[in-house]
Amino acid sequence: MSGQMSQESDNEYSDDHIEDDEDEYDNYYYDNNDDLDLDKPKKSDDPEYFEFDLLKVEDVERLLNEEVEALCTSLKITPSLAKMLLHAHGWQRSLIIERHQRDPEKFLVDSRIVADKKNISQDNIMGLTHTCPICVQQLSKDEFQALSCQHLFCNECWDMHFNIQINQGLTTGIECMGKDCKLLVPEDFICGILKDTSMREKYFKFSFTDLIKSHSQLRFCPGPNCSIVVQAKEPKAKRVECNMCKSTFCFRCGIDYHAPTDCDTIKKWLMKCADDSETANYISANTKDCPKCHVCIEKNGGCNHMQCSKCKSDFCWMCLGEWKTHGSEYYECSRFKENPNIANESVHVQAREALKKYLFYYERWENHAKSLTLEEQTFKNISTRIQEKVMNNEGTWIAWQYLLKAADLLKKCRYSLQYTYPYAYYLDRGGRKELFEYQQAQLEAEVENLSWKVERAEISDTGELENLMDIAEKRRLTLLKDFLEV
Amino acid sequence: MSTPARRRLMRDFKRLQEDPPAGVSGAPTDNNIMVWNAVIFGPHDTPFEDGTFKLTIEFTEEYPNKPPTVRFVSKMFHPNVYADGSICLDILQNRWSPTYDVSAILTSIQSLLHDPNPNSPANNEAAQLYRENRREYEKKVAAIVQESWNDDEDDDDEEEGEKS
Ligand SMILES: [Zn+2]
Ligand SMILES: [Zn+2]
Ligand SMILES: [Zn+2]
Ligand SMILES: [Zn+2]
Ligand SMILES: [Zn+2]
Ligand SMILES: [Zn+2]
Repeated sequence: MSGQMSQESDNEYSDDHIEDDEDEYDNYYYDNNDDLDLDKPKKSDDPEYFEFDLLKVEDVERLLNEEVEALCTSLKITPSLAKMLLHAHGWQRSLIIERHQRDPEKFLVDSRIVADKKNISQDNIMGLTHTCPICVQQLSKDEFQALSCQHLFCNECWDMHFNIQINQGLTTGIECMGKDCKLLVPEDFICGILKDTSMREKYFKFSFTDLIKSHSQLRFCPGPNCSIVVQAKEPKAKRVECNMCKSTFCFRCGIDYHAPTDCDTIKKWLMKCADDSETANYISANTKDCPKCHVCIEKNGGCNHMQCSKCKSDFCWMCLGEWKTHGSEYYECSRFKENPNIANESVHVQAREALKKYLFYYERWENHAKSLTLEEQTFKNISTRIQEKVMNNEGTWIAWQYLLKAADLLKKCRYSLQYTYPYAYYLDRGGRKELFEYQQAQLEAEVENLSWKVERAEISDTGELENLMDIAEKRRLTLLKDFLEV
Repeated sequence: MSTPARRRLMRDFKRLQEDPPAGVSGAPTDNNIMVWNAVIFGPHDTPFEDGTFKLTIEFTEEYPNKPPTVRFVSKMFHPNVYADGSICLDILQNRWSPTYDVSAILTSIQSLLHDPNPNSPANNEAAQLYRENRREYEKKVAAIVQESWNDDEDDDDEEEGEKS
């Protein structure tokens, strides 16, 4: 695989992608028409491009109400029923209307909204009074209510039931009290019975959360105390940034953004890391010995390219190999060499090998995570350095801004790089894994080059640094384009 | 004092006396209607046959909106019974309905002796033997059936005192 493209080619695709050209042309045309802002990422060449809106609670309420009303008009049902149907069927209005048209009775029974004829209780009120089967009080018949299943209970017992369920966090899932009855209780029935207004407020608060969780196009911002709701037309595993609390996360699963790894894999990986935290603890140290003179060296920046303060030898923090070799053979540092004969080894050897493999990937994952926090420090150091330089008349403040930009890009690249390790860990051996690891190694090399340079750049290095930034970002995008599932 | 829970427990007791289900019995303790003693007789054609297993049932004022705490006092060897005697049974947890009464609880536990649910094991050894080595399972159960007679004798005085 070669990174070289012919000068004439106006996009990054090689000849075997020629069938895409028409699409590319369309997108190109569309983009040019639509957004004139050249800095904005374009749909066609940014694998992380994602359209979303950030909504306030009032906006979401309005949005949900509109959807409820639309369904009410189509099916001629009450808002309370419409809400239940939308919640039960992931707010897919057209699907609900279609199934309702096919067989309305069966659809409502299947959705647990109307009782199945054979499950209707024969427990009718004969006289003027009736005994409640729960509190065994004999009460006047207008003290009793039932859903379509005709399971009669007194208002007081219903009220008690709703209180207990709501306090356990249940709202849209509250069922009838009848034995083995799974009928769902609609909102208007519950609110007609709840005596306590604070309980009613609690019900609405919890059910609003429930409704949003059941809506595939909406997601709460996971940021602490943030009430923003993200809306996206397509529920994809893409990066979302909240402009209120500044948290970034994956739209599909709501945890930290994790490209190129997919939602299920990252969950599996994070669970594994939590389970094996003891085993992995020993590698979390921030110091290592210089491989040449054995003096203890502390890592205090994000860069993996270390230089011993005593013997001045250059080495790699991850593998302790000579740094010189990393230019051409970074591959050997980021790739785990599996024993090709492992299937024939004993259980013990296999277990040891599995642990070795996990620790290999974990160490690299953890190292980038740590480097990212150290990069924050680097960012502060750069700011102070710029101030000093400007004071000494070495370039203007504006001229130095490129360095902050570079530090920002470095963080972005390192972040993606961190999330390549869970991906590689779960990837099966074969050509695809080799290609992935090749691109991962390329990105590793560029990130370390950039990292080394950012910590040391002078004003005269602008051109070189911009060049490094360009290469690093290209490597990152190439990897995501090839491996990020869209 | 007559609270809804107490009123309901009186009704449950009345119903248990008037219409007693086969193989179970239960009654409030003398000084507290919120705590019951109960006995389940091992069902026929099960390894538990002839056993007399004692249980305690503790209610809260939230009964019947919340299920009581039920626990075997006699030693038990069953896939869904924990070492401390508490029972893993859906109707005593998430599938509880306020329409269940003491009679329904006891008969549900009785049928659990019939049909253990090896998918939610509370006692791993019992669950494993039930699945893989039925003969050994039955041997272990036979031992606790014998033991259930012994603690009958131990508590005889106590029981007579309660019944008077
Ligand atoms: Zn009642
Ligand atoms: Zn019902
Ligand atoms: Zn937020
Ligand atoms: Zn995700
Ligand atoms: Zn050294
Ligand atoms: Zn290395």
